[in-house]
This record gives sequence, C-alpha cells and structure tokens, in this order.
Amino acid sequence: MTPAEVRIGASLGERLLAFARGPLFRGDAQVLHAPNPYRRALAPDALAASDFTRPLTAGAPSAHRALAAHRLLGTFYEAETVLLPEQGLAPLHGDFDLFYGADLRALRENSVSELERFAFDCLADAVDVSGAGTTDVLESYFRHVVAEAATGPSPALAAVEAARDRRTAADLYVVQLALDGLTEASAMSRNLGGAYGPEQSALFKIFIDEFGYGVHDAKHTTIFAKLLRSRAMATHVHAYWNFYLAGPLATNNYYYYLSRDHAKFFRYAGAVTYAEAVFAPGFVEMVKVFRGIFGDTVDLHYCDEHAHIDEHHGRITRDQVLLALADRHGPRVVPELLRGVAEARLVGGWFEEDTAAQIRWSDDLARYRDLASNARTGRGAEPDRIVLSPDAPFTTRTRDTDVVLEMAAGEADLVATPTGPPERLARGDVLLVPAGRLHGLRAVTPEATCLVHPVSPSLEAPDSRPATATADRPAEQDG
Amino acid sequence: MARVIVIDLSRHNTVYVGHDRYFVLHAGGPPLLVRDHCPHRGGPLSLARPTPDGRRLSCPWHGTKVGVSAVRRGCLPMVRSGDEAVVLLPDGTEPVSVLRKEVLANLPAETGPAC
Repeated sequence: MTPAEVRIGASLGERLLAFARGPLFRGDAQVLHAPNPYRRALAPDALAASDFTRPLTAGAPSAHRALAAHRLLGTFYEAETVLLPEQGLAPLHGDFDLFYGADLRALRENSVSELERFAFDCLADAVDVSGAGTTDVLESYFRHVVAEAATGPSPALAAVEAARDRRTAADLYVVQLALDGLTEASAMSRNLGGAYGPEQSALFKIFIDEFGYGVHDAKHTTIFAKLLRSRAMATHVHAYWNFYLAGPLATNNYYYYLSRDHAKFFRYAGAVTYAEAVFAPGFVEMVKVFRGIFGDTVDLHYCDEHAHIDEHHGRITRDQVLLALADRHGPRVVPELLRGVAEARLVGGWFEEDTAAQIRWSDDLARYRDLASNARTGRGAEPDRIVLSPDAPFTTRTRDTDVVLEMAAGEADLVATPTGPPERLARGDVLLVPAGRLHGLRAVTPEATCLVHPVSPSLEAPDSRPATATADRPAEQDG
Repeated sequence: MARVIVIDLSRHNTVYVGHDRYFVLHAGGPPLLVRDHCPHRGGPLSLARPTPDGRRLSCPWHGTKVGVSAVRRGCLPMVRSGDEAVVLLPDGTEPVSVLRKEVLANLPAETGPAC
C-alpha cells in the first residue's frame, strides 16, 4: 500500500503504521544509531499492537503506547526542523530526500494533530485552572511552584546517587538530556516570529544565549556534546534513540506541541518560564552529583553554563515574559499562563519519575531475576514468542503490564541502559520486566527464542505513580 | 502577594479563611472553590441541592435559587493538578484550615419539584 492509498479512509493507527514501516524507521542490528539524523527505530512490529483509539492518560506516561506515540510525534516535529549530519550529506542524500519528502510529509500532516490529541488531551483532565486570574495570583502561584522545585529533591538525580553502578546510571540520565541537548531551543524558535512587543525581544534574548550569540563553539548543543565526549559517549543526534524513555520524550514533545500552535502561545509562555526557572537549581544539583561520581574527568561546562545563565533566563522569563504578558493583555490570558506553568510542572514530573524508575530497575536486575521466579504468570495463557537473530533490527520497547521474560532457546542480551553491561539471559533464565520499563533483546547465539509471560496482578503498573507531594499544607482541624 | 495553600482534593473539600468558609463545588467542568454563603442571608450553599436543571443551587435556609454561574464567577483562584490543588488566597493574616465536610451541593439534582 502506498502512503497515498493509506491516507484515504485510514485510521490514525493505520497511518502511523504506514509511516513507521518506511525504510528509515526499521532500525538496524546496532544498539546505537549511526550518525544519520533521518534514521530512528520506530519498532513497527511493536507499534502494530498499539491501541491508538484510546487516548493516553496522565497516569501512565511510560506505557508502551505512550513510548510509541511520542517517538512518532518527536519524529514528526523534528521533520519540521533542519537536520544535517555533521560529516556531510554526501552519502545520505537518499535518506534526506525520504525524510523530508512528500510521501512522509503527507502522512505527517494528516496525522500530527490527531496524534497530538491522542498524546496530550490527557492534560485537560489532569490540570485545570479556576477563579479570577490576576497578575498577583499568577506571580504567587509561580513563586510557590518554583520554590517547591528548588527545595525538593530530583527523583532522577536521587536515583543516580543511590545506584550501585552510579556511572551507568549517570550516563542514562545524560542520555535523557541528550534528546533536547543536541537540538536545544528548536521548539522555542517557532515562537520568535510575529510581532508581540517587548516580550518577543525578551524571549529572543534567551534564544540567542542558547545559540551562543552566533558563535558555534558557545552554542549550548556544542557544549552538551563536550559533556558526552568526556564520558566517551557518541555525540551525534539521536545516537541513543533506543534509550530515550517515554517520559522524557513526552516532556520534549510538549514544548513542540505548544509552540506548533500559536493559539497555545500563552500556555507556552507559562511553560517555558517554569522550565527556565527550575533549570538553574536543577543543574546545580546535577553538577554536585556528577562531580561526586566522576570527579574532574567529566566536562560539566554545559551544566555550569545553565546553572549560571538560567538564573538570568528565569528572571527574564518571569518578569519580562510571563508577568509582562499578564499585565499587557489582562486577566483573560492569565488562566492560560497559569495552565502552562502547571502543565510544565506535571510533564517535568514525567521526566523525573520515568528516569528514576528506569535507573532503579536497570541497576537491580539480579533482584528482578528472583522476582520473576516468584511472579504469578497467567496459567494456560499462551505467552508471546519472540524469535531473535544477531542480525535482526535492535529495538527497545516498554510494556503496559508486568511481564516475565523466559529464554526458551539460545542466549540473548537484555539491554536496559545505554552504557552499562547487558544482562545475559541463557536458556531457562527468567527476568521480571515491570510495566513501563524500557528494554531491548539482542541474540548472541545464531537463534534465540524468548517467551513473554504476562504477570497478574501488575506489580509496578505505570499508573501507580506516587501521589503528588503537597507543600504549605495548613494544619487540619475538624469543625 | 496572594497567600498560597495546597489541598488534597481526595481528602479535603472545605477551607476556612478566618470566619469565611469555602467548599469545593463540582458542577460540571473543573472543581471550583466557592464561598459557602448564600447572597440572600448567608445560608450554607454547601448544603444546598442542585435544581433539576443543574443550573442553580437551592439554599437550605430560604429556598433561594442561586445560579451556579454566579457562584462560579466568585470562586477563589485555584490550579488543580491531579488531586492536588494550589489555592491562591487574598493577602491577609487570618488563620487558614482545611477539612472534609458533607457537601450536598455535589449530589445529584433533586428529583422533586423545585421549591
């Protein structure tokens, strides 16, 4: 079926599958992607089983459907940016033509709005704003949530700190940052055009900081690559595509989602102000944790830069964008500004919790072998059977429920981190994979077969997120 | 600056600010923190019942019908994320407390004739 045929009367799932089945998105046998920004594994086989008729929920940000949807959405958004390989385009002209070509563009344009509704409509249920909005209310709310973020722990960095293998955990954390770190400010660039007064100029000041004032060596993506290089990690865009978690993907996509639609401009202004305000203390914490692990061997220029400049960006966005927009445009826009702050806080939590959960699980796989032995798998239910070969495309995925992997034949490596040693599974080995945990399997014998048994009930379903912490709670009393 | 309090909507539905009482009203759309005060003589609107059309609350004191839209216009600023609600109170020094009380206004509309 050609892309044109797929468009006529096809469901969202069918259109997405047609897109993912394109030659650019099948993946290859390597765990890391080659220096080719147009190729990224969209795991069409796993995608085919995804349900795109039931929208995502805010309570299950790491579900398989969420991972699949956000990989696609991120690819759609990036196709609206300019991606060129550092080594030159000469050997990749064919992929360039396909990636930006008419067939995929038609599929993207026919699917992107529907996929955004699928992915982000849950925010309307998760967050709401009521009551009269004033600049005073906005500023008070903003200061409250920023103070909470500045004083509260980062679950992801806490997980890095607590890991047995802190180096691997730290690398996994860096990879989640690489998703944005190597294409930084691309979403923001969409909101620089037009004419909206001094607030536009304030936003542009931040943008030009991100872009190193036109000096490539000072560009934030350049100094992020230095961080990767100091860890002997790949620096090309999406080398670690297979290890981006659903939560970080959703967080990154959220800013593209807001900035693609200028009706959401005020929400974007709220969200970017929150992000800029919490980045600085976040990077101060990251410097502390990473210095503790790596000493002077890691290049933290990127973190130092953000710990410094984001203090200014936090102030500029608060005073010259967020509050200035509220003053200039009146109470009608305040609820949208508040909503943007609240949503950014929520999706930032997805990044943190998903990354923390992946670190904790991948750092403790021996225990999950034991848990698998005691897990109750569905009796009489036919397990999924995965047949692997060393040259088969390597892809990662999550599952919506806990499963036990059982090697029925041959041997395979379970890969759950970008830089850590894989977990070798021999015939008869079992390992519990909780819902929402990212993993891939790679055969190390000419053929290997893995059985996937669902576990009931779910031990760590992605919906079972911890309750949101409350701050400033007044004393309770009966009356 | 406004005062900020955080309430857990799964546990609390009433806020006292000094002598003023507010309750969480579910009247279609997002939950609202509204003043528990009938504009007629100050009756407890939290103990009102919705009229059959769901558009008004029938005050338990004198049967005054208070429009939900008017109640909504006077609600306190609140940002909800999941069960957590951040409430922005006007600046002041009155003591604040939160608790759970019976709220009849969130029950289904009365089926009998409206009084």
